[in-house]
Amino acid sequence: MSSTRPELPREFVASHKRRRMMDAVAELTAENGYEATKIADIVRRAAVARKTLYDNFDGKEDLFLSAVNTTLTDMRIAIEDACGEATDTPEARIVAGLEALLDFVAEHPAAAKMCMLEAISATPSSARLYDAGVRDCVELLRANAPADAVLPETIEESLVGGVAWILQLKIRKGEAEEAPDLLPELSQFVLSPYLGVGKVVDTGRRK
Amino acid sequence: MERLPRGRHGLSPEFVARNQRERLITGLTEALYEVGYQKTTVSMIGQRAAVSKSDFYKHFESKDECFIAAYDMAIERIRECVASACEEASGEPWPRRVRAGTEALLRLLADQPSLASITLVEGLRAGREVYDRYQGALDSFVGYLNEGAPASNPGGTVPEATGEAVVGGIASLLGRRALAGEAEQLIELFPEILEFILSAYLGAEQARRIISAE
Repeated sequence: MSSTRPELPREFVASHKRRRMMDAVAELTAENGYEATKIADIVRRAAVARKTLYDNFDGKEDLFLSAVNTTLTDMRIAIEDACGEATDTPEARIVAGLEALLDFVAEHPAAAKMCMLEAISATPSSARLYDAGVRDCVELLRANAPADAVLPETIEESLVGGVAWILQLKIRKGEAEEAPDLLPELSQFVLSPYLGVGKVVDTGRRK
Repeated sequence: MERLPRGRHGLSPEFVARNQRERLITGLTEALYEVGYQKTTVSMIGQRAAVSKSDFYKHFESKDECFIAAYDMAIERIRECVASACEEASGEPWPRRVRAGTEALLRLLADQPSLASITLVEGLRAGREVYDRYQGALDSFVGYLNEGAPASNPGGTVPEATGEAVVGGIASLLGRRALAGEAEQLIELFPEILEFILSAYLGAEQARRIISAE
């Protein structure tokens, strides 16, 4: 930073630097994979001193896990908010949540790749974070789905796994930015087991 | 897999080598299931296969290479099992074929939980090269599923991505259960998975009609 710049509050600078390091690790692992990403690359990309990284994190894995965790939390909040705002029908809530997920992936392609692909194989702890993220989505879907005791208990797990797989394929092809194009197909997929249940059948979205 | 008799046995060197290689692959697959990839060592694999460490290195350069061979073999076994179940039901309508293939898959994985573990859990964590194979395997199952599948249902057209989403969803569900140590109970998921597949293609009502008619 240039010395002529007006001084910013210390906490602001500190949290901004943490953010920059987390963004850097997301970009680098998305480009080269976790294994090939070195501390030296991260500090260069984030434009921070090596000491700053170690003042904030225990090392590469700690930084990576913080970045994955932060992204998954942001993603969950985005979905939750969208579901909460669409209150009319279970179907509208589910579609809104799905749309929020797809938008998140398109807006944060590197972070999405980091937590939906790299996290699975990087370290055992990051794999657990990915699993916890899937579980959160399963619970969100269950909470917003129409109540129907006849549905298989595992249906939400299968649906979330299916959506994640389609997104993983898209991200691997380098097309994360086009994720929102998947909304019509994925909405139909996610809603398919619920159609014929209560009000959902009346909305007639499957045209 | 049984080890071969010691000493003079009149078996060709090719046969012995192939047998050793297969034993090593089985040894790795079983060790993985019990202790995970990280803790599996070359001597552990050798011990299980009754093959010396130096003979291990005649077949494979490293644990990674043996892992990839084991991964391919596991996928092949699963593919053969599903393909032959679908083949046997080839004259039947699509939902029946799906039922046969799904049941065969779950039965195989429950009988041999180490196959579920290597393909659906360890394989995902072993880096990009193996992940490519995981993706390739899932793609090939999409082919079986889509063969003869309905293109439309009372609600409209079946989306193109349905096969991929269904196969990805099943793999994710099975992988999560295998990770939780429940691979041997996978067969219990059969009715739920069948309903999931059929409703993705046919809608919930028709899926349930078919299932309750069986």
